[in-house]
Amino acid sequence: MISKDELAKIVGKENVSDAPADLLNYSGDHSLVPPGMPECVVWPKDSEKVSELLKWSNKNNVPVVPVSSKEHFNGGAVPRQGGIVMDLSRMNKILEIDEDIKKTRLEAGVTWGQLTSELAQKGLRVPMPLLPHADRSVLSDFLDREVPTNTVYDYGEPMQAFEVVWPTGDVFRLGSASVNGYPDSGSHGGNPSGPGIDFYRFVQGAQGTMGVVTWTNLKVMFATKKDKVFFVPVDDLAYAQEFLYRLLPRRVGQEVLLLNRTDLAAIVAENFPADFERLRATLPPWTLIIVVSGLSRRPDEKIAYEVKLLREIVRNEFRKLVPDEALPGFPGLGGKILSLLRNPWPAGVPYWKNRWQGGSQSLFFIARPEKSQKFVEIVESVAPKHGYPVADIGSYIQPIEHNRACQVEFTFFYDEKNPAAKSRIAALYKDAARALLNEGALFTRPYGDLAPMVYERAANYVMALRRVKKIFDPNNIMNPGNLCF
Amino acid sequence: MAIVKEAYKALEAIVGAKYLSDDPVICEGYRSGPAGYEAGTGYERVMTKIPGAVIMPRTTEEVQKIVKICNRYTVPYVPYSTGFYGPRSHPHIENALLVDLKRMNDFEFDEKHWYAIVGSGVIYSQFQEECLKRGGYVVIGGGGAQASVIANLIGDGWSPLSHRIGLPHRRILGTEMVLPDGEIVKMGSLAVGDDWFWGDGIGPDLRGLLRGYTGLRGCLGIVTRMAVKVLPFQPERLVPTGIAPNTALALPEKRVKWINYIMPSKAAQVKAMYEIGKAEIGGAVTKVPLFWRAIAKAECKEEFWDLWLKETPETVANFHIVRVLLIGFTSEEQLTYDENVLSDIMMELGGQARPTKPSDESWIKNADSAGMWLMCGSYVSVDYVIETMRQATEHGEVYAELKKKYTPPLMPDHGDPGWFQSFELGYQGYSEFLIYWDQDEDTTGVDHFYLETSKMNIDHRFYTALIGPHQPMYLTGPKYGPNYHEWMLRIKNEFDPSWVCHPPVPFAHDEFVERAPWMHELKTWKTPQDFPYPAWLKTQMAAEAKAFRATLEPAAKAKK
Amino acid sequence: MPTKVNLETIDLNNYRYDMSRCIKCKGCYWVEHTYMPGMKFASRCPSNVWNDFDSYGAFGKMRIGTALVEGKLSWTPTLLEVVYADPLCGACDVGCKRNLDLEIELSLEAMRVKAVQDGAGPMPAHKKIAENIARTHNLFGAPHGSRRKWVSKDIQVAEKADVLYFVGCTASYTNNEIAQATGRILNASRTPFMLMPDEWCCGNTLQSVGMLDEARHLAKRNIEMVKAAGAKTVLLSCAEGYRMWKVEYPKLLNIATADLPFEVVHLAEFADAALKNGSLRPTKPVNARLTYHDSCSISRLADPWTPWSGERGWMGTVSPKLKRRRGTQGLYAQPRNVIKAIPGVEFIEMIRTRENAFCCGAGRGTKEAFPTLASSSAKHRLEEVKEIGAEVLVSACPWCKNNFAQAVQEDGHGVKVMDFSELIAASLGA
Repeated sequence: MISKDELAKIVGKENVSDAPADLLNYSGDHSLVPPGMPECVVWPKDSEKVSELLKWSNKNNVPVVPVSSKEHFNGGAVPRQGGIVMDLSRMNKILEIDEDIKKTRLEAGVTWGQLTSELAQKGLRVPMPLLPHADRSVLSDFLDREVPTNTVYDYGEPMQAFEVVWPTGDVFRLGSASVNGYPDSGSHGGNPSGPGIDFYRFVQGAQGTMGVVTWTNLKVMFATKKDKVFFVPVDDLAYAQEFLYRLLPRRVGQEVLLLNRTDLAAIVAENFPADFERLRATLPPWTLIIVVSGLSRRPDEKIAYEVKLLREIVRNEFRKLVPDEALPGFPGLGGKILSLLRNPWPAGVPYWKNRWQGGSQSLFFIARPEKSQKFVEIVESVAPKHGYPVADIGSYIQPIEHNRACQVEFTFFYDEKNPAAKSRIAALYKDAARALLNEGALFTRPYGDLAPMVYERAANYVMALRRVKKIFDPNNIMNPGNLCF
Repeated sequence: MAIVKEAYKALEAIVGAKYLSDDPVICEGYRSGPAGYEAGTGYERVMTKIPGAVIMPRTTEEVQKIVKICNRYTVPYVPYSTGFYGPRSHPHIENALLVDLKRMNDFEFDEKHWYAIVGSGVIYSQFQEECLKRGGYVVIGGGGAQASVIANLIGDGWSPLSHRIGLPHRRILGTEMVLPDGEIVKMGSLAVGDDWFWGDGIGPDLRGLLRGYTGLRGCLGIVTRMAVKVLPFQPERLVPTGIAPNTALALPEKRVKWINYIMPSKAAQVKAMYEIGKAEIGGAVTKVPLFWRAIAKAECKEEFWDLWLKETPETVANFHIVRVLLIGFTSEEQLTYDENVLSDIMMELGGQARPTKPSDESWIKNADSAGMWLMCGSYVSVDYVIETMRQATEHGEVYAELKKKYTPPLMPDHGDPGWFQSFELGYQGYSEFLIYWDQDEDTTGVDHFYLETSKMNIDHRFYTALIGPHQPMYLTGPKYGPNYHEWMLRIKNEFDPSWVCHPPVPFAHDEFVERAPWMHELKTWKTPQDFPYPAWLKTQMAAEAKAFRATLEPAAKAKK
Repeated sequence: MPTKVNLETIDLNNYRYDMSRCIKCKGCYWVEHTYMPGMKFASRCPSNVWNDFDSYGAFGKMRIGTALVEGKLSWTPTLLEVVYADPLCGACDVGCKRNLDLEIELSLEAMRVKAVQDGAGPMPAHKKIAENIARTHNLFGAPHGSRRKWVSKDIQVAEKADVLYFVGCTASYTNNEIAQATGRILNASRTPFMLMPDEWCCGNTLQSVGMLDEARHLAKRNIEMVKAAGAKTVLLSCAEGYRMWKVEYPKLLNIATADLPFEVVHLAEFADAALKNGSLRPTKPVNARLTYHDSCSISRLADPWTPWSGERGWMGTVSPKLKRRRGTQGLYAQPRNVIKAIPGVEFIEMIRTRENAFCCGAGRGTKEAFPTLASSSAKHRLEEVKEIGAEVLVSACPWCKNNFAQAVQEDGHGVKVMDFSELIAASLGA
């Protein structure tokens, strides 16, 4: 039994709620994860309060689900065993922006909308996944290992040193923020590793089961000076992947991504259904988008040498591809796409995936790029079995680091208010996931139903993971029932 | 007391008599010192032992069986790939089993997906050559081309090439490891199948158990195979030329080029690095300490000292070189672009390009660390820390100041503040401070300086690479995290409840301070009455401490 | 406090500093990193490839040597094996000196001298050889009177000449073809040559295993004989013999190579010079895909000797300054120049060449005492020959030739093994 009074003593009366409307808000999200009600919601204002709350929760054996965003799509923050939801949205300060050492430090509640506009004022940007929701927590998305659209850097992981409150309630700074007195210190939080052991790894991808991250240092980039957007219509996905295998190791392009007609239409359509259907009917099966950018110095020369190689490779080796700065039939798309790629999806309007039918469910995983055609075929063979039209599948392939791998994402659109549709999609999702898993799809972010499916194939990993979890969360209070815990 | 007979027989059954030995001559060959990295220090003399036996497995299955036998018979064991890392890679307890992993040198390369799978016995120069053959490259850790790829990647793993390639932690893909209790854990994509290509965990990432800053020094299991990221390079061949000691890679100048710049001041030197990082050009950017130039020119230590003793604190303080490696990954035009941008930056800052040889003597295939021992015979880095450029440029000066108090026995270096450079295109900065001495001198000052740097870093609130097992855990623990040491201890106890994996690491430096009387005056921190070992280890550590004290008695008596 | 030190191997203490400063970088084991060919053919240490324990590499031996000089180890069969299962090929010495200035080769030699001084060494097979030499002045115990039987009728030997061809035991007894080919080459270039009036073993095995007194006795005797014969040049076609005369004789007598009253020249140097001055014209094609093995004693180990003594003091510096021998003056270019001049030859380099060459494992007493080390080393090197697709393997040392030939026979590689002299002779139509 949760004592609201005890919680109020910690965070203040106005920062605790068990009002049904509030609880309902946290009981579910846009995903297929079945709803689960918390008993209470709390809004701490700083790490000290987070620590006190976790100590209290341990003492009282109360599950805790940490939440930082206002919109959720994957079900990672849906309570599975009751307990309290710890909403960090009051912790929404951008604590520092430091151009010289190219980083920002921000609290968990800072959203994409907030950060990107603040950075833009200083001529800065962050590596971004595709169209993050403006109301989502930046920290959360990077902790969850969202894949950025930018393929060019030899290092990934924009997060640097951060602060976590372990499930025991211990406030802990890791990496180079671990120095006593940080941030009033010789160290500035640029290194996520250590101290001693790589604690940061345990928290990545943990979906709130390993602790509460309160703030993080994050790399920022300088805004590009000039950009050219190339569109490459693609009929043959396998052929396009061979092209990317050839091009991307040569370090051409900033953002590079592949969208099928349904996804691209869903992103750029001005209205539904007319514009959307028109786009779907006339876009090529896939569009490869390659953004070539010039940076602060000699931007035209940089663009020139990248474009030169791009054209050479196409001319000599991939004649079937026709990169152009315009997509035939879609004037002005370049400018529109660039703006979309460099900004979050605005708040206050339905998310791009939900504009068409009201809801959607995405299935995404890491893969070898040469297998992407096979994965498409698999999903296209599973979908009709559940009455889902192949033409309605949204597909997005994000090359990663010189195309050594890619993230493949399939989206199924449906009316999330229609229970029958939801149930149909849930079955399709599971079926497709299983088929993809059998073919080597790597689900590093196993949300919801994916978790048991994936973890049953990783017995040794699960065993070791549980041993680690036991150390940091001996009472299993952190988002229990999630992942393999 | 040798390794217990039953255990020895069982071990022999695993690898065969040819690959197991407890012969004292064989074991003597595995002694850590008296020279090498961090050798010639009190730590090396007090804490290292020769093994009781040496075993050389070939496969992960053999390693697992060995570890299980060690657990059954409480035989302490130490994983060892090349032993180059010095005392910390060697047994710290009598009658340990040294597990020499050199035979585990399987190698596979996936060119399309830019990674290779290596065993613990594969070293960097082999790996780099296989990469270069396929148009790729990796960072050869500063420790040198002779370092084991796996051992280096789970501890250190950076060089000037990290300006572009970044933290080594991200280069670790599918990995296979034998935990201290003999369980095997597979990480990354290997956790769910037979594919090594990806490194992220399924959910939380257990690569956190592999290393840290800077690692576990072999006390949390044995990594047997690892897939490692390879980065795309450029297609022209780098041709080896010359006869040792004057060998180098001839560079295809339109695609790979080093340029040295003399900068008018330290501020300009630092700004150049910032600007180069901001412009996102270059494959390597580094400052070079003046005495490395003397090392490069000298063929022997006498020549080095002839050159070095001509320098003064003024010449050192006014020597500001920035070395830049340009790599035309994309094309010749890209190299031209990089060079133009670099020239723009240097013009703004007053940097003057010096004639630079069209060759690489060191960082692409060699990492000439062995030269660090030329001058004095002993060497260790008292920090090699990755943080931000801001810490990197301040850090070395603080070391240099402290070092004055300990020179001699440390080598006279005219106040040189060490090595720093940009990392990850300026997102990080790197600083390394190296010290040199002659181990035939009284080395108490070396031991003191080493530990004092830890206190110095705490006072200045700097991050440091010498944390974890490198320094007393009870000193650094409360000051970083805080109490990171308690979490490490819990992890250690969970996965190695018998403490058979490289005992008494991670407390080896604490143990050293307790045993060595000359260190006692420095001990300003609290330690528990008993270190948190299981009973058998407590007994053995006490016995070895007593045995060490006994060796000091004749000298103490003589002094009286 | 500076200590007195010199380079004499009769006192292992002279190498206490060197042995105790080994940093375990394994530059002694690996092919020099700039030249590292990749996963295969990565090492140049036959001992440590034959036995994987660290103790069999120089880096392990330096620790063992330190313990030995500190009186912490006693002679056991294992210790003898570690010290003697080693062709002393110089790879470790050159490898270490890529970055440091430690005397590895001399330390290894000094350990053997100590073994002999302590009555523990050398190996029984070496003692047999020593007995043979004492009795019959050759390694094999063969009749001394048959030493000149190799001289066939077509070969002109002068009574007296500026050039003295020192044939050596193997060419005299087991490999006449080398002596004959050399004789024919000298004749073809119109270079008069004489032989030692009474040729005795050069003493290579004795010196190599630490029997310095016996080796010194031979050195003195042989030098006097050459002096008396009035030759200005001693020419050898055996790499080990070349090293003995050029390097070890001065070392044994504590003089410099330059102080010898004659020049020491290998056939490779001679042929290279003769080609350049036109006195040798290889015209007959030798149609073969051919590779060349750098024999250790004319490459890494061939730098001339200068004695040195002085002091070691502050930071380990020595005075007077010592210019260390790093194998840079080995005969790398000369044999290649000659091979490339032979018509019909398609010359492919081995993967490990010059100072990175992998010793055949036979020389300096190794084959006799450790036949499996010699055999496995040769077979390993033959894998490299196969890898590059060569049909013929040429070397400039009878030890290499015999060891490779035996390995070929046992493994059925189908590679033809030739001596450098035979290759030239074939192209002279001689």
